[in-house]
Amino acid sequence: MKPRNNISPPKYYEQFFEWFCRPEYFEELQGDLEERYERNCIELGQKKASGIYKREVLKMFRPSVIKKINTQYRLNNIAMFKNYSLVALRSIARNKLFSAINIIGLSISMMVGLLAISFISELYSYDTFHEKKDRIYRVINTLHEEGEDPAYYASTSPLTGQRLSENYSGYEKVVTIYRGFSADVKRDDQKIPIAGFYASEAFFDVFTFTMLSGDHKRTLTDPYTIVLTRASAEKIFGKTDVVGEIIELNDNIQLTVTGVVENPPRTSHMSFEAIVSFETLKKVQDPKRIMRWSNMWNSHVYVLLPQGTHPEDLQANLEEIATQENSSFGTSSVEMEFQSLNSIFPGKKLYNQLGARMEIKNVNYMIILAVIVLASAAFNYTNLSVARALKRSKEVGIRKVVGARKGQVFLQFILEAIIISTVALVFAYFLFQLIRPEFLSLNRDIQRTTTLELSFIHYIYFFVFSVVIGIISGLLPSAVLSRLKPSTILRGSTQLKVTSGFTLRKLLIGLQFTLSMAFVILVSLAYKQYQFNLNFDLGFETADILNVRVQGNDSELLTNSFSQVPGVSSVSKSSWIPSVGSFWTTRGKYIEGDNSTTVHLLNVDANYLDNLGHQVLAGRSFTEGMTVPQVVVNQKLLKHFEMGEPVDAIGKHIRLEGKDRAIIGVVKDFQHATLDNEIFPFAFLNEPDNYQLINLKIESADNINTMQQIEEKWSELDPSHEFQAFFYKDRIERAYSKLSTSLQTLGLLAIIAVSISILGLLGMAVYTTESRIKELTIRKVLGASVQNLITLLSKNFLLMFVIASGITIPVTIYAFENWIVPNLVHRIDIGFWEIGSGLLAILVLATLTIGSQTLKAVKRNPVEHLRNE
Amino acid sequence: MKGTHLGEFQEIVLLTIMVLDDNAYGVSIKREIKTRADRNISRGALHTALSRMEEKGLIKSWQGEANKLRGGMPKRYYEVTNKGVNALKEAKDVRDQLWNEVPRLRLQHNYG
Repeated sequence: MKPRNNISPPKYYEQFFEWFCRPEYFEELQGDLEERYERNCIELGQKKASGIYKREVLKMFRPSVIKKINTQYRLNNIAMFKNYSLVALRSIARNKLFSAINIIGLSISMMVGLLAISFISELYSYDTFHEKKDRIYRVINTLHEEGEDPAYYASTSPLTGQRLSENYSGYEKVVTIYRGFSADVKRDDQKIPIAGFYASEAFFDVFTFTMLSGDHKRTLTDPYTIVLTRASAEKIFGKTDVVGEIIELNDNIQLTVTGVVENPPRTSHMSFEAIVSFETLKKVQDPKRIMRWSNMWNSHVYVLLPQGTHPEDLQANLEEIATQENSSFGTSSVEMEFQSLNSIFPGKKLYNQLGARMEIKNVNYMIILAVIVLASAAFNYTNLSVARALKRSKEVGIRKVVGARKGQVFLQFILEAIIISTVALVFAYFLFQLIRPEFLSLNRDIQRTTTLELSFIHYIYFFVFSVVIGIISGLLPSAVLSRLKPSTILRGSTQLKVTSGFTLRKLLIGLQFTLSMAFVILVSLAYKQYQFNLNFDLGFETADILNVRVQGNDSELLTNSFSQVPGVSSVSKSSWIPSVGSFWTTRGKYIEGDNSTTVHLLNVDANYLDNLGHQVLAGRSFTEGMTVPQVVVNQKLLKHFEMGEPVDAIGKHIRLEGKDRAIIGVVKDFQHATLDNEIFPFAFLNEPDNYQLINLKIESADNINTMQQIEEKWSELDPSHEFQAFFYKDRIERAYSKLSTSLQTLGLLAIIAVSISILGLLGMAVYTTESRIKELTIRKVLGASVQNLITLLSKNFLLMFVIASGITIPVTIYAFENWIVPNLVHRIDIGFWEIGSGLLAILVLATLTIGSQTLKAVKRNPVEHLRNE
Repeated sequence: MKGTHLGEFQEIVLLTIMVLDDNAYGVSIKREIKTRADRNISRGALHTALSRMEEKGLIKSWQGEANKLRGGMPKRYYEVTNKGVNALKEAKDVRDQLWNEVPRLRLQHNYG
């Protein structure tokens, strides 16, 4: 075989070798390797030759061949680091105002960063305690109903679990969880409420919960067995060693305790006080109904896959089950897929979650907002440092003349930025501790799922974070300063052009103002919308209505007892309350018209319509002791079924919940859902035995006293349950808690953004007046008025302001309508003042900042600034 | 013990350089060791030995010609210095002496 010219040794290995080899040896060694390679190519073929070459290169990786790192240089570096730090500290101390601006701005924004870090790291620690966490998947359902958008559910029918374990192989374990176990345990004539869920026997094989006593293989196998947690065992028995004990529930069911587990960790997406075997549920309820395909609302199926199996491999099984079962599901159909355990919390939005929920979307918003705020503060540092580069340029010149390389100067200024950001970190940490309780009380989801407790690893994260922020904010000034040429600097400072970043600087300040204005405007819009929502005329009276939960008691008894309290003017009963985000819907059919639609229902007693101040347009309300099914409807329902005028509708029949019901009354349309929804056809039913709430209208001068009396009445009738009552107004407020959370978050961000940008502006104003002081003084001496000078200095700023507001206004309106209050049907009108007030506030603040600095400069005696020359 | 102190591998490398005479450079040394002693050594290991011996002054080297086969890289030729030869002789003497001291009986026993 003849040598070919085009063959050459493996390129990357050659480059790698060149990189690590000492240059004085490289030619010889590389030559030898290549000669051998060529020879091997001829003798053994290219493939083997390449292999030998690669091995040879790797074996070259030995101390005698590798480049020496110059130790002397390194020693020198340590000394220089000392010098850099010293110089940095001196310059911080000398420019107190600028350092303060930088440190304050950075620490405020870093506080947001610290919040984000601790919050997000906490969220991602969820469910990490399960030993087999990488192999656990949950089956989730997507429900397609005719004429409606697909709905996403975390739940699936228990049939899925049964079929997966019986008809398919390839699953190590399948566990079915059925929500909704809650009962009162009878114990020495006390009732102790416990809650949890039902689970099939594989539960403890799949999930890792520490078993305190009991055999985890057998705990949930048999019917009528229960596993308690440490807390519930202590609550019931006062001890945890209770395996084999029998507990009796209020519905006379007896359960044997087969195990006691440690309380589920807080970082578990499922929480429980007790787990009852799934077999029990099949005994106490109709197993056929439970195992129905359409019963997909309360149950969750988790699978444990064998090592090395991917969920995609088994997707076909789910599709097969779905196809077979959907055939008997009418017009609806279900699609199923696997969701890995680590994407459950935080995860995408699903209905019927088993426990805590946190939407991944919110987490992402949090990250974006933190980045925006941080960027804004980093801009400040960059801005001020670049602007003030002039002051440091002589230092750079001298350093370069005595031999500093570009990289060393760069390093020096980066180090300075890191020192600033580390100092800021200390302040940020204290701010973080201050804001922590506020953040936790922002919304119920956050409160329930996170504590923001810090561990050692968090401090490391924080430190790394501050270093990164330092590097980012110091990058541009360091680049500008290290690029300066000593010859230009030392020849004469006035010719120096460090203002190459001038347009960039303007852009950065402009961006900051755009952000601050946007936040301020969003806050004012959100606030107005929130007030609007709370004060919206719902079409009925909610003032002074106290709702008391029945909690399984006799509602009639409670009603009689409460109505004796002096401050209670009227009492009614209902199954739930409208306008706070709950629904109860069914299909309603107009018998004569022969068409059907979704109808919202509310079950009320005879007093309800009157008590809540509904306006009856025609007919009458319910009366006590009716026997014929009757219904009171709203105008929308008439319109939908084309029944004509309210008076004409009386006596017509609609079919609801399996009964033909006569319309006896028509009420005026009222906002029965939250403001994100239209008004739907609505019907009041009157079916006793199904009341969950008692609505008390309180008219008394002494609310507290009245409440106490009501509570006393409650404890007479039901000593074992806590009295649960809430004012209607409070519940409406809670229905809009998402908006109020946004409002508070935006408010905080607005304060942060505004203070950061004003700080930045202050810094720039001080710098501009300082560097133009001579010019200003001469102008003044020649007769310019203070007003003229202020105009001169703020002209640029005004232009920037106009451009920034031009960008802000449309973006903000878009953001408000699409992110803050999406799908809101009743939205406030965005008028001039909602937008204008925000802009004006920023403008006034900014003008004050610039004006005060200019005023300070020009009020001084001209002699002070001019006598030097 | 005073003087230079040769390792077994260094000894072999030194001897090989002497055997190769004018043509002792990386590739040829490696090949010679492979054929004579049936030892496959990596070029890196050889480099370590060579550079250490050069530091001790046992060998010297000079840059040779480049050729196309080597990708344009020059060869480096090695030559054993007097000091190196002496060190080799010393090592051989020590060995010879030791061989002579070994009782004949033991030798016969082992080799017979």
